[in-house]
Amino acid sequence: MKKWMKSLTAVMVAVSLIGGASSAVEAKSNLKGNIVINGSSALLPFTLQAASEFKKENPKVKISASAAGSITGPQSVRKGIADIGAVDWDASKNVPGFNKFDGLVANPVAVTVFTAVANPNVGVNSLTTKQLQDIFSGKVTNWKEVGGSDAKIVVVNRKFGSGTRVNFQQKALDGKEFMNKGDNYKEVGSSGDMKTTIETTPNAIGYIDLPYVTSKMKALSINGVAPTEKNVLNGSYKVWGIGYYMTKGQPTGATKAFIEYIQSSKFQNGSLKKLKFIPLSAVK
Amino acid sequence: MIDMNPSTNSKAPAELGQSFGKTSGSKFDRKARLRWSNQLFRMICIGSALFVCLVLLCILVLMLRTGVLTFSNVSLTEFFFSTNWDPENEHYGALTFILGTLALTSLTMLISIPISVIIAVFLAEMTPKWLRNLLRPVLDLLVGIPSVVYGFLGLTLLIPWLRNLSGHDLADGLLAASIVLTIMVLPTISRISDDAISAVPNKYRDAAYALGANRFQTVFRVVLPAARSGIMYAVILGMARAIGETMAVVMVIGNTAQLPNSLFTPTAVLTSNIVMQISSVEFDSTWNYGLYMMGFILLAISLLMIVAVRILQKKGGRYS
Amino acid sequence: MSVKKPAHPTLAYSFGKRRGASVLLDRLFTGLVWGTGIIVILFIVGLLFLLLEKGLPQLSWNFLYGLPSEIEEGGGIGPALFNSFYVLIISLIVSIPIGIAAGIYLAEFAPNNKLIEVVRICVEGLSSVPSIIFGLFGIALFVEFFEIGLTILGAAISLAFLNLPVLTRVTEESIRAVPVELRNASFALGSTHLQTIRRVLLPVAMNGIMTGICLTAGRAFGESAVIILTAGVSTSGEMWDFNLLSPGGTLAVHLWYVQSEAIVPDAQEIAQKTTAVLIIVALLINIVFRVPLWLNERKNKA
Repeated sequence: MKKWMKSLTAVMVAVSLIGGASSAVEAKSNLKGNIVINGSSALLPFTLQAASEFKKENPKVKISASAAGSITGPQSVRKGIADIGAVDWDASKNVPGFNKFDGLVANPVAVTVFTAVANPNVGVNSLTTKQLQDIFSGKVTNWKEVGGSDAKIVVVNRKFGSGTRVNFQQKALDGKEFMNKGDNYKEVGSSGDMKTTIETTPNAIGYIDLPYVTSKMKALSINGVAPTEKNVLNGSYKVWGIGYYMTKGQPTGATKAFIEYIQSSKFQNGSLKKLKFIPLSAVK
Repeated sequence: MIDMNPSTNSKAPAELGQSFGKTSGSKFDRKARLRWSNQLFRMICIGSALFVCLVLLCILVLMLRTGVLTFSNVSLTEFFFSTNWDPENEHYGALTFILGTLALTSLTMLISIPISVIIAVFLAEMTPKWLRNLLRPVLDLLVGIPSVVYGFLGLTLLIPWLRNLSGHDLADGLLAASIVLTIMVLPTISRISDDAISAVPNKYRDAAYALGANRFQTVFRVVLPAARSGIMYAVILGMARAIGETMAVVMVIGNTAQLPNSLFTPTAVLTSNIVMQISSVEFDSTWNYGLYMMGFILLAISLLMIVAVRILQKKGGRYS
Repeated sequence: MSVKKPAHPTLAYSFGKRRGASVLLDRLFTGLVWGTGIIVILFIVGLLFLLLEKGLPQLSWNFLYGLPSEIEEGGGIGPALFNSFYVLIISLIVSIPIGIAAGIYLAEFAPNNKLIEVVRICVEGLSSVPSIIFGLFGIALFVEFFEIGLTILGAAISLAFLNLPVLTRVTEESIRAVPVELRNASFALGSTHLQTIRRVLLPVAMNGIMTGICLTAGRAFGESAVIILTAGVSTSGEMWDFNLLSPGGTLAVHLWYVQSEAIVPDAQEIAQKTTAVLIIVALLINIVFRVPLWLNERKNKA
């Protein structure tokens, strides 16, 4: 047991040392070359990819990325605890449910396409904007009312504050409000949960970013237009949005270099495209 | 916390000094060293206890400080007695979540306590040694599986199964959540109870058997009452984890702010609502304050439940 | 221990009464316990099989050691796995001494009054605080107050806070469960309080304390909410990065990320393999913590 006491003291010393070390470092934590990114989880895959590529070219820059939720991005930036706030809408303007953030600059980084999806057992392939509005507001509760078989509609929604939800509401439902109660209504926290729920729940309808659509679910056409990259590029499919990196004022230093790297045609037409996002230049 | 230091300081040296002064009179430095290390050790222990209290206090202050701001915009009666949670339209009634948490925790405990205690008895009293040595690490292992894994299994296996069983279109709800929680707290409760039962001295069992008791009587009349304090602690710990668990619950409860009319109706509890919304609302909004307040209520509920379990235990203690 | 009298006089009488019924009860009880035991064992085996079946056969060194990939298949979990251990070890270094010392205080030194009773209830209550609130606390402390950003250090200490209450109470309960005779015998031999604690109480209570450490280590290893908030989802992207201020996405966080947001085509496979790795590591942790216990037991026998 003597050893135990010794290790206890050793541990105590180590703890105090670590404590000392952290207080020594905190003075120079605003070093150039340290980028903290927080915000939307839907933009995280390409943020992580860009970060690892960027770090190869600039080994001295440290990038830490987290994804607590879209609105966390601009809020953390405003509070000064993150350099970049990833968000799925332009947070320098008002959107339904969220006020604008003054003093933040929106740097567009990628185009994401959103689509309504349903379980494969649903017989419907296309819905009109009106039908979507009725389904998601709870007015229509049976698939036969929109041309399907006689089965109750299970509505799966993303949680409030999801960037996908904001975009889908604005662009697919024309700003019409979602239902928020009902026996056949549930909310999920992430794209992955949405994917799993739609795949495993018969008669379910939801919406998701295009890259997550799998063979075990059905992407629905809206007003007869299928959600494909081609239809986005030719302007017939309207349900897409731009993802932004919010910064406090114009970006500087390493942050600026990182954003420029993401906006460069090398990244946009390379890795970004491989991740099934659409390059910014393609839609303008 | 502070007022106890003098009392312990004055009591212990007397007790220690006497026992040592007589045995090793000549070796003064040994005596001094022992006394010094005793003192130091006590200080470390007191310091640690104070530190734990400090962390607790910080968390309480963090939640309460932000939480009370809710009531500058929302009346107490609305927050506690309304079931209408619709912050987008300025309705902040948290009753649904409070009731949901109470119902979910009770249901989970109802399922998990009997099973866990039986498993603990099984492990401590009945299994051969090799099986026990195999099973204990496996049970501990289940605690280490991330809650997202349990949630994912619940979402992909349990809910479709419950859906077929119940005939509902969407089987998310209290039952699914409590089954997932039961699986999560079962190892905690059974392992700590198992330790408590194993710690009961063998002579108690021998005495009971010598009096002609059979195994059932020994376990129920002697071993379990003797291990009661430990088992109660295991239950409290399991309950605390059930109240506070988020990541798994959020995947199977449905996250809809409504009072459920069956065990299969999507609903929400305090934790699931906090975890779903706290990262998606603005920092300085009544909504955010309300969520912090809900965190505080959560803590209050668990404290109440702990006190209740302790009172029950004291009452039960009278006749053993 | 609360019970000092092994059997009440009236109990001794009741043992003899209604022999037939009690034999039947005994049989029923034995059957019930064995039945439940076997069902739960089968359930656990089934659960483990389900979790390991798809992931385990595909595990390879490249996966364990490799860097994660967002686009191409075949990404690994190297840095996340490393971070998991690193965060776990730091958080245990912080929480074990403090937790055990606080537990010893509550069991041995604390006066028996209302205040301590309240403290005890609070400590138990603290263990029910959802981990996300510890995460928020971690943000407030490390990101906003100390301004060190999303770091391994912040995550490890927040995790330690999360585990402190459990460790404290488990230690206290285990020490209390040590029979009074042992303690008295030690005092009678003239040992000081510290010597009694070190040589008698802790070794005897070690079994329970180890259970507590295993449970907290397991929980720390599987925790994701705290880490997402305090250490981020990303890793520093290289192996063996011992910098305490690096971003510290752990394996559980990686699993969460892969399951909820990753676009990479083999996401499901990665999730399965990651789950298998998590389970194996959790098992290893349990075994590692148990080895000293077994050695101790052997030594005591000899």
